[in-house]
Amino acid sequence: MQMQQCYVVDSANAPWKRSASEGVSFECQVLLAGDDGGPEAMRFRFDDCPSVYAHMHLTPQFQLLLGGAMDFPRGVKHLEALAIHYTDHNMPYGPFAVSGGHDMLVLHPRAGGIISMANLEARRKINLRGRLFASLASDTEWQPLPDIESGAFKLLMPHDFGPAAVVVKVPAHAALAMPAPEFGRYEVVLEGSVIMEGQEITPPGFRYVRGDTAAAPIISGENGASVAFLTFDQNALEGGIIEGSLAVEAAEAMARAI
Amino acid sequence: MTATQETTQPFRVAVFADFVCPYSFLAVEQMDRLAREYDVQPLWRPHLLHPETPPEGKMRERNAETIASDERRHAWFKEMAPEQYPRIRFPQKRQYSMLAFEALEFAYDRGLDFPYKTALYDLMWTEGADIGEHETLMTAGERIGLNPAEMKIALYERHYAERALAAVNQAREIGIMNTPTIFLGKTRINGWTYYEVMQEIMERQGMHPREAIAS
Repeated sequence: MQMQQCYVVDSANAPWKRSASEGVSFECQVLLAGDDGGPEAMRFRFDDCPSVYAHMHLTPQFQLLLGGAMDFPRGVKHLEALAIHYTDHNMPYGPFAVSGGHDMLVLHPRAGGIISMANLEARRKINLRGRLFASLASDTEWQPLPDIESGAFKLLMPHDFGPAAVVVKVPAHAALAMPAPEFGRYEVVLEGSVIMEGQEITPPGFRYVRGDTAAAPIISGENGASVAFLTFDQNALEGGIIEGSLAVEAAEAMARAI
Repeated sequence: MTATQETTQPFRVAVFADFVCPYSFLAVEQMDRLAREYDVQPLWRPHLLHPETPPEGKMRERNAETIASDERRHAWFKEMAPEQYPRIRFPQKRQYSMLAFEALEFAYDRGLDFPYKTALYDLMWTEGADIGEHETLMTAGERIGLNPAEMKIALYERHYAERALAAVNQAREIGIMNTPTIFLGKTRINGWTYYEVMQEIMERQGMHPREAIAS
């Protein structure tokens, strides 16, 4: 039996830090440091930039774009909030441009570090079966939510993709129960408020849960809520900051960046 | 009768690409390097990216969106291909590829398709030539030693039109969606990737660089 992990983060109260990495300036919040072996979560607001350097992380990652736009000249193309961008561990992406009041959550199941793809050794460690998926919430229609009157949901990833992303919109005092998050799940408040583990959390606060039993349902607040559920699959067990020079470099680069 | 017949299948490398794709231009140098470093003979096949392009080509629109898009593309190439970037001349016009595919078939029949594609990409992407024009195709041929008189007849009389079209259709039938799409033995790579990834894939399939084998 797996030990249940649960972290609740009130992003509104986390300090901001101004920083830069490889010439790209931004401000960030470290919301979960991952230094206890648990999840790592950060919020970034990049200044407008035509080219954020190509890089990868050593764990899978959800990027939840809360504001502004990201443009990928190759492949994914144009993302604007609300949007998700998912990558498996060691799956490179970028360079990409950011603009228009960029604001995003970067969510890992464990500390994932960051490796610039200028590193030739890292290129040999690319996950050749790695998955990458991106979508805009506006491209998907709302569907009625069973059991909750006037509730609705939209799937941001195909249901059989593996990792899952769904946005749920509910009226006040609705209980949102989800299956056991075997490989970990972020539950991010996008609008309104929710009660998580006895705390009222507003956007873009979140809960991370992992375990083989279902977590306690979250309850929407007085004005209802919109919540993104971002669920990892077994790729969350892969990679990470383990032994090896690449892991050391990834951890150091992330520490320098934030 | 029982017999054991040993067959040594060559390691197959094939690239499906369109001359008008800048990412395919980057793959040219990678494939040329792969052919130098490994015992492989990459095959370059057509994948028509923009079937709607007329023979005279089509000027690219200039507006705020395309200017911003160009800026991002330049930034991408500057970072991902720092050595090639200063030489690259992005065309203002989307060029017509079908004649170039015919020329590639002509070169194939003379065993010169691999150097021909390099010469033609160079003309388009570093010298600003238009591959929709016969002169450009002929110049590329002359540079690698194709018979100009023979090539001229083949191109003007469209001797390879059917074959080029069949090759384009074949790429579509086997589900080629990206340019470049690269096959390294059993592995398919959709879109441009790092050379180091190709090295890794080669080695995982037991293909080692000539230098390593020699030592």
